[in-house]
Amino acid sequence: MSSVIVPGTSLSAVVLLIIAAASYYYFEKIKDPSYQPKLRDIPAIPAIKEGVGKSLEEDKPVHYQMGASGGQLYSTLVSMTLVALTFLRYISRLCAEMGAKLIVHMPYQAESIPLIEGTTLEGYKEAGKPEEFRRENLRYYGRGALTWTQGVTASFAQEGVGLNLAIGIFYSDCPISLEMAKYMGGLNVGGTGRWIMVYAFAMMCDYVFLGEEIYAAAAVVSQDKMMLVGMLIEEVGKFFVFLLLGLGLILSLVGMDVVSLLSM
Amino acid sequence: MNMSATWRTLVPTLIVSLTALIVLAPFFINIPLLNDMKNVLNSWTVIISAVTGAALGLVYMTHAIYANYQRNKKTEQLVMGITTYLFLALYVGLALTQPGNVISPAYQWWYTVLYQNVGATIYAFMFFTLASSAYRTMILNSVEAASLAAGGLIYTLRQIPIFQTWFPWMVPLGEWILLVPNVGGSRGAVIAAALAATVYGVRTIWGKEISLKEVS
Repeated sequence: MSSVIVPGTSLSAVVLLIIAAASYYYFEKIKDPSYQPKLRDIPAIPAIKEGVGKSLEEDKPVHYQMGASGGQLYSTLVSMTLVALTFLRYISRLCAEMGAKLIVHMPYQAESIPLIEGTTLEGYKEAGKPEEFRRENLRYYGRGALTWTQGVTASFAQEGVGLNLAIGIFYSDCPISLEMAKYMGGLNVGGTGRWIMVYAFAMMCDYVFLGEEIYAAAAVVSQDKMMLVGMLIEEVGKFFVFLLLGLGLILSLVGMDVVSLLSM
Repeated sequence: MNMSATWRTLVPTLIVSLTALIVLAPFFINIPLLNDMKNVLNSWTVIISAVTGAALGLVYMTHAIYANYQRNKKTEQLVMGITTYLFLALYVGLALTQPGNVISPAYQWWYTVLYQNVGATIYAFMFFTLASSAYRTMILNSVEAASLAAGGLIYTLRQIPIFQTWFPWMVPLGEWILLVPNVGGSRGAVIAAALAATVYGVRTIWGKEISLKEVS
């Protein structure tokens, strides 16, 4: 038996996965179908609509960027790509409904481009205006964060910026694009789940999604039950982590080796 | 023949779910076959990435350059478009034709003198944007901004020798800021984001992720 289970497998991770899957099953199959959890208000969400309105008033385009490396489909950050796609769909729908021009700065991962193109089109379809979708407003700058940064800032300078919505996987590409959008008079709204880059968003954005807030905000803008329930399940996970913290503290106080216990 | 919407959704979902389970399982279960399958799938990731990155990327880049010129029909725009391909030709040409390929002096010159310097310029520019935004952010108009400014200032000044001599207490204080409140706060944020990512993963494997669903 011991040879089948990988030595050092984190028991807590397995338990967490089981809890998440069981909770999803419970909410989908057993809980009242009309049930929708209420998430707290995040100020940056209404700011997106405000920004689209500002763009219309100033006759400037809305810019959407998911990061130079924001199209990762096979890394540990893929959840952020999915969040960015949810926001892309939302902003496309909003721009189509309100009549604003949307420019999407695509990441350099070429394999994600069909997905981005399709998601943008879906947003326009949701608004009932697929004919307003313009493929030339999806901008691609080739490989590398440096070319991407130059392309995005050149677009700000040439076409103007009303709202700059930046959500996704960001590395050192975001300070230049965010600061240039601010410099050009744009309203910056954005966030990333990469904690190491949250500082740039906190400093440069008018409205920021702090870390995990991008996941919660994506669930709110989607208004989909399963996505909202996902946030509730995350809370279950947080309580599980708190439980582990408390338990670990007590066990280490009585002299037990907690690390090896959790790495069973 | 048009594929029905159900099949268009079901087939990719099944592929994603099955692939994810195969890749995930060897982390917990020690069966050599599963491990081999995981390695094969991982190598396919590299192949798909390389092919799409080179081929599809080139197609999209060409389209982007053409669209740029259509939007802005100026000589400079045309020159910029042509320059891109000249650089590409130089990049591939030097790598393929020079003895030693990518370690040839000509290629190394191109890489270190042209490519790296362009990168360094952009990075330098990034630090100016950081400085200007830090100046805007750290204005003492709230408790949060003031504490951020104080923490940042102590942490920065402690690196400067003259402050280390005049105010030796800054060194351990700066270290404490870095290792205690900074690490404590960031760990909480990282755990929360990781939990959210786990939930996304479970939902995707289960085929309930809605961001990729079609309208009709």
